Amino acid sequence: MSVTRALIADLRVAMGQADPLPPAGPAPSITPPPRRVFPARRTPSRSAQEASEHTTALLGIGHVGTRYATDVVLQFQAELAVAHEAVATVLEEGWAEANGLLPLQSRVRDHREFLLRPDLGRRLDEASLQLLQRRAAKNIDVQPILADGLSAVACMGSGKTLLDAVTRQCESRGWTVGTPMCARFARVWLQDEIGSAVDAKVAMILLGERPGLGTGDGLSAYLVYEPKMGKTDSDRNMMSNIHERGTPPVEAAERLAMLAGAMLAQETSGVELDLSDLSSQLGDAAGTGYRAPQKRVRLVEVGS
Amino acid sequence: MRLAATIRGRGYRFDSVREVMAKANAPKSGDDLAGISARDAVERVAARAVLSGLTLAELRSNPVIPYEDDELTRMAEDTLDEAAYRSVKALSVAEFREWLLEPTTTGPVIRSVSPGLTPEMAAGVCKLMSTMDLMVVSAKCEVVVRANNTVGLAGRLSSRVQPNHPTDDVQGILLSAREGLSYGCGDAVIGVNPATDTPESTAEILAALHRLTRQNRIPTQHCVLSHVTVQMQALDLGCPMDLMFQSLSGSQKGNEAFGISIALMDEAYDKMKRMGTAAGPNCMYFETGQGSALSSDAHHGADQLTLEARCYGFARRYKPFLVNTVVGFIGPEYLEDGPQITRAGLEDHFMGKLLGLPMGCDACFTYHASMSQDELESLKVLLAAAGCTYLMSMPVGDDIMLNYQSTSYHDVPSVRGLLRKRPAPEFDAWLNEVGIMNGLEPGERFGDPRVLR
Repeated sequence: MSVTRALIADLRVAMGQADPLPPAGPAPSITPPPRRVFPARRTPSRSAQEASEHTTALLGIGHVGTRYATDVVLQFQAELAVAHEAVATVLEEGWAEANGLLPLQSRVRDHREFLLRPDLGRRLDEASLQLLQRRAAKNIDVQPILADGLSAVACMGSGKTLLDAVTRQCESRGWTVGTPMCARFARVWLQDEIGSAVDAKVAMILLGERPGLGTGDGLSAYLVYEPKMGKTDSDRNMMSNIHERGTPPVEAAERLAMLAGAMLAQETSGVELDLSDLSSQLGDAAGTGYRAPQKRVRLVEVGS
Repeated sequence: MRLAATIRGRGYRFDSVREVMAKANAPKSGDDLAGISARDAVERVAARAVLSGLTLAELRSNPVIPYEDDELTRMAEDTLDEAAYRSVKALSVAEFREWLLEPTTTGPVIRSVSPGLTPEMAAGVCKLMSTMDLMVVSAKCEVVVRANNTVGLAGRLSSRVQPNHPTDDVQGILLSAREGLSYGCGDAVIGVNPATDTPESTAEILAALHRLTRQNRIPTQHCVLSHVTVQMQALDLGCPMDLMFQSLSGSQKGNEAFGISIALMDEAYDKMKRMGTAAGPNCMYFETGQGSALSSDAHHGADQLTLEARCYGFARRYKPFLVNTVVGFIGPEYLEDGPQITRAGLEDHFMGKLLGLPMGCDACFTYHASMSQDELESLKVLLAAAGCTYLMSMPVGDDIMLNYQSTSYHDVPSVRGLLRKRPAPEFDAWLNEVGIMNGLEPGERFGDPRVLR
């Protein structure tokens, strides 16, 4: 037997034949840990309370070892699920017609393609283009376009309310407003082809925005003057976070009409549009558009 | 050069090295979007076989964007360390892969060869490597840099505190930063993406972070990630600035879309060396990410992995303190799902380290990508096991301004605990002094922001 083999044999004898670990001791008596609830409604820590006045970031949530308390995990998973569900929802067949809207579709054929091919989501399919040419009013001031974007949930939720409110706002200012329509599998830039096909001075697409944690129902609006293919993001003005906890649709509609009015008056849009006279009335629609902070709401209630 | 291979009797031919590089790439939705990826798995292997036989000299003489058309190509070619290059130029990509994996090829040996590698060489060998290959080689590369502290040492894992706020509310930013520090995060940098890209706002946030770090004598760095020209103006306002930031792209045209050039970055670097407030020799911070060139139609038919490597070729000119890929931020049209984001994160980390950068990673996803929270947590452990210099950190990993999911304040101490890694030594000493950490374990004041003034 080689030296190594002998050593291995000796080692094996030294390790013995018994269970490699001693038996576990008796189970200790376990006291339930203190109840941790997020957001801490009953006994908020001082730092959590102070934080909630300045930020919507989830601060003061404590820790268990280096990880989250169970309640935090459930709230977080609920917020994540809401966001993922909003992205995964497809605009229902027939929804546009049922709501009296001209049904349009981009060149995208299914939901996965929609996520992977933004280029196809920016172009109308042939049938939609023909429908537009046959049925839509031409030569108009403003063409509002409702669309699914990255949240069909938002589109089917408050989309019609926003579309109707914007239409009323524009008509009350004496502008001609295009045929109400709704586009499926649509990206922002689809407004360029639609707007130029109906010869609109301003195209305004209202679409579901990319969900954030716990917010699957926000709409964004993008406006462009003299829509045509080849316009870029710097030619557009936008407003985001349109929903009841952000900017409510009716309030948003008024600001969007103001933006369209500025475009019609100055015959331009995007970075060239001067909004200095309107900035106090426009709020967050005056800039390139940021996402206003919104209060986080508790999503999970057990047993209620 | 013979750009052809046969698999089970079927012949595959390729027209250019650029085409070989694109088709050899691991599957990425962004390469599909660009229309340059392999049409199936077999063609991908054929391209890899061809690539494996090319020499590093052939990769040097066939950059994915021609010398005449692109200043990054010219910079890589004209500033290459010829002595280091001579030691590797005759190796095929296959031989180079095996040489990197040899135990005798240690971190210091790789460091001596690194200045002789073009970005295309790093990308080429990356395409022949599996996930674990990438991790094994990355873990050998020790890239150590210094500003107010020292990051990148073996056995260490650093993190950026990212206390972003949708309206730049300074109190909100500071509250989040304090919380992050109390979890032991923030030794790489306390870095804020501002909502408003103005010199005044940049200066205001920097001044507040400066008070926080100096008052509490925290050995770390601060940074506001506005455009580099805005930061240069902020410096002129007289504000403190430990690190200067810029996003980089892998082609001249892509950088033009970002509003930068080599000349501008040279000027910024020069200014920062004179006016920056960190002690260190290293004072720059860069972010990158696969797909950014294609998103501004600046990819020149090259694949997103190779273009990403070219960002690192650009970055190393400025001896940065931090470089990280923001791997899942760009969206599913470039990296579709968990497997693609995971692979890309490990690839980027590998290429950065091979090219001599203190490479970190923002392991993240947007809510329209197909990646689960569990997959994202796994990626953070893989990165740390591969020796990743730093991860991000923010409350619950939720960026309330940029709306995406990244690393949390809780994740960083968890990953450190799992892999027995510690923060940067100076910062580690501070954490232990104030009781946030007790060696490798959470200390009495762990998670208690009141420990900070």
